[in-house]
Amino acid sequence: VNDLHVLCRVADADYVVAAADVLQMESFAGATKVPGAGAEVAGLVQIRGRVVPVIDLRTVFGLPTITPTIDSRVVVTKRGGRTVGLLVDSAREVIKIPEGDFQPPPSVLTQQTEGIVKAVAQVGTRLLMLVDVGKVVGEERIEERTDGQ
Amino acid sequence: LSDFDTADFIAGFIAEAEEHLGAVNANLLSIEGAAHKGEPTPRQVRDLFRSFHTLKGLAAMVGVDPIVDIAHAMETVLREADRAAGRLPTGAVELLLRGTGVVEQGVRALAKKRPVRAAPASLLSALTDLRQTADGTLRPATATSLPAEMWAKLSAAEREQLVRGMEGGRAALLILFRPSPERVAAGVTITSIRERVAAAGEIVKVLPQSIPASENAPGGLAFALIVLSSAEESALVAAAAVEPSDLTPIRLEAPPSGGPLPAEADLGPDDHNLGREGVVRVEVKRLDEALERLSALVVTQFRLVRTLAALREGGADVRALAQVVGENGRQLRDLRGAIMRARMVSVAELLERVPLIVRGASRATGKPARVEMSTGHAELDKAVAERIFPAIVHLIRNAIDHALESADERRAAGKPEVGLVSVACHERSDNQLELIVSDDGRGVDAEAVARRAGTAVPATPEALLELLARPGLSTRAEVTQTSGRGVGMDVVRRITVDELRGELSLATAPGRGTTFTLRIPLSITIVDAFSFACGGETFVVPVSTVEEIREIDVAKVVRGPDRRKTPRGEPDRRRATRTSDMIERRGQAVPLLQLDELLGLPSAEAPLRKAIIVRRNGEPFAFAVDRMLGQQEIVVRPIEDALIQLTGISGTTDLGDGRPTLVLDLAALGDRLASDGTGAAA
Repeated sequence: VNDLHVLCRVADADYVVAAADVLQMESFAGATKVPGAGAEVAGLVQIRGRVVPVIDLRTVFGLPTITPTIDSRVVVTKRGGRTVGLLVDSAREVIKIPEGDFQPPPSVLTQQTEGIVKAVAQVGTRLLMLVDVGKVVGEERIEERTDGQ
Repeated sequence: LSDFDTADFIAGFIAEAEEHLGAVNANLLSIEGAAHKGEPTPRQVRDLFRSFHTLKGLAAMVGVDPIVDIAHAMETVLREADRAAGRLPTGAVELLLRGTGVVEQGVRALAKKRPVRAAPASLLSALTDLRQTADGTLRPATATSLPAEMWAKLSAAEREQLVRGMEGGRAALLILFRPSPERVAAGVTITSIRERVAAAGEIVKVLPQSIPASENAPGGLAFALIVLSSAEESALVAAAAVEPSDLTPIRLEAPPSGGPLPAEADLGPDDHNLGREGVVRVEVKRLDEALERLSALVVTQFRLVRTLAALREGGADVRALAQVVGENGRQLRDLRGAIMRARMVSVAELLERVPLIVRGASRATGKPARVEMSTGHAELDKAVAERIFPAIVHLIRNAIDHALESADERRAAGKPEVGLVSVACHERSDNQLELIVSDDGRGVDAEAVARRAGTAVPATPEALLELLARPGLSTRAEVTQTSGRGVGMDVVRRITVDELRGELSLATAPGRGTTFTLRIPLSITIVDAFSFACGGETFVVPVSTVEEIREIDVAKVVRGPDRRKTPRGEPDRRRATRTSDMIERRGQAVPLLQLDELLGLPSAEAPLRKAIIVRRNGEPFAFAVDRMLGQQEIVVRPIEDALIQLTGISGTTDLGDGRPTLVLDLAALGDRLASDGTGAAA
């Protein structure tokens, strides 16, 4: 079970999120903007009666945002009691990647993404980057923000 | 019983026990108070006896022996006191309070699924000794002129209370009250009579009487009130709104007619019931769930209304459908009201433990203090009640710890030695509750506070409160047991103003005392809200936080100095610096803030037309918005994730479009502007 991963695409690159961190995937047609929230926060969406903040992975990776398309997806993740959605260009497959197939990322990638890509795996011709949901959701950053209030 | 059943059962036991413990503490305190004046308290002793009797039974059912043991020991002491017409042996109250503490600890341990420790043997034996030394002899019973059938309905303790009162020189009266349609129309019911009589005298017993049905008494029911009073009879008559002929004095009569003493079987059905009749205890979680379901229904209703409007625009005949949708909307509002009422708890119940807190703080500081409570019938949403209680506790502890002087100081100042803390509340017409905590202590020394904070002496009560509420500020150098250091007003303000979006104000007079007034919403879950458009987005704001909505007369906006330019380099005529625009309102200049700009949203081309005026810390702020959309009741969901916990946003709601709409806290936005001068949101 731990080998299952959700495959998603942001711009020209493929990413995977551990399925254990994922609650569900939802289509995306825009979010309620939250003035004053961090730039990476696309806004709030309502998913099955619950209000979930959405982080745009494009902003996280320093890419320009795009108008939502029919393929846009919110990958709803759950970690440590928090539920946060990750906005990706598309997410269609769940694939199996044995743990042994993951390699540590090149150090330059670690630096550039501040550790958000925690491993890479070569599957067929594709290079998949494993997203550290905890880092994206930003446990540390949130603490700073809360303290600063 | 399976494990699951036991767990369910224990949860029920804990809830039930807590209710009894609240009553027990209140009764013990009132017994202690009466004992100082040498008065017996048969009613309270009997209530205590019943409480411990029930607690013992409940604890035995869930198999918590330590609680059974201590409750049994106390019950026995109290039964004997009850037989002795409510006279408790010396030192009993202290032991009973300690015993109650042991039961409370046991209940808390159960709640945390920890083992319950056995009651201290020393306490159990002290309680046993008390029984042996107690004066168990009863005075020979005396008879009165009260009709025999009524006398028979009085317990021994009530007879004793009546006879003692008369022997003590008070007048005993029998008042007959006949409810009639006229009286009901005038608001005179047995409840109101009871209250008014209780204000003029001491009610020993109210006995329902069956009388022949007549035009004036269609129910065939009357109430006989047996009352002790030292007031003039006429005052009582007026209080009870009865004819003088309905008033009979009760006299003492010589021949003793010793009635039977109350035994366990004599207690009435009440004691063997679990809980109050007709009352169901419900976990708040379940009410929250019902509310969740309801809010989904409300959203569906909003969608119905939208669909209906679309159909109408398309030229369809929707009159019949519109009627059904309208009816559905009304029924939903009623249902919402019903669920809201189910969530309400009485303020009197919430404040049940206040006398105990006062007693504890008074003992810890060695300052004599008493409490006066006037809570009326006000009710609060459970969620609000739970949040506000710690603030009230802080204020009471602060009052005793900081505000009240020592007995010596008070005597020297010509004040009564015993300090007074009073807690009052009443419901306001705007769905808000006003809670007032005041003391007759030394008052807040503004100079000392300023010295400690290292600032100038505050000129107004608002400024003084502002200083007091600075985190970490304490006006006392040493740490005290009850208040600690630097904890207090900042917490009170955070809860009242920031969490509950209420108001906090202060009035203080040197040497005379301090009054804190808290104004809080009755509910934070379901609120009446205005929706409005601004910067291309829709927002809502609770009606209770809005002071006024008015048109902005653009020509009359007063522009303070503005050094900013438009992108083309011209002076910006349309909007000025956030804090320099002002509008005149009843002779007062009110800062006018452009909400779109404040929230970093795209600015509208035309000047914003509507101003929403809110007040924070007594200071008004006007927020300019595009247009008002409507007013409706909304269910507010708190913001759960720290990513979006921002000043000025108090939650979200669903207006029927399936997307979250932000609930704004404009007062908090205004406050942030006033305090740091920056307009940038968070």
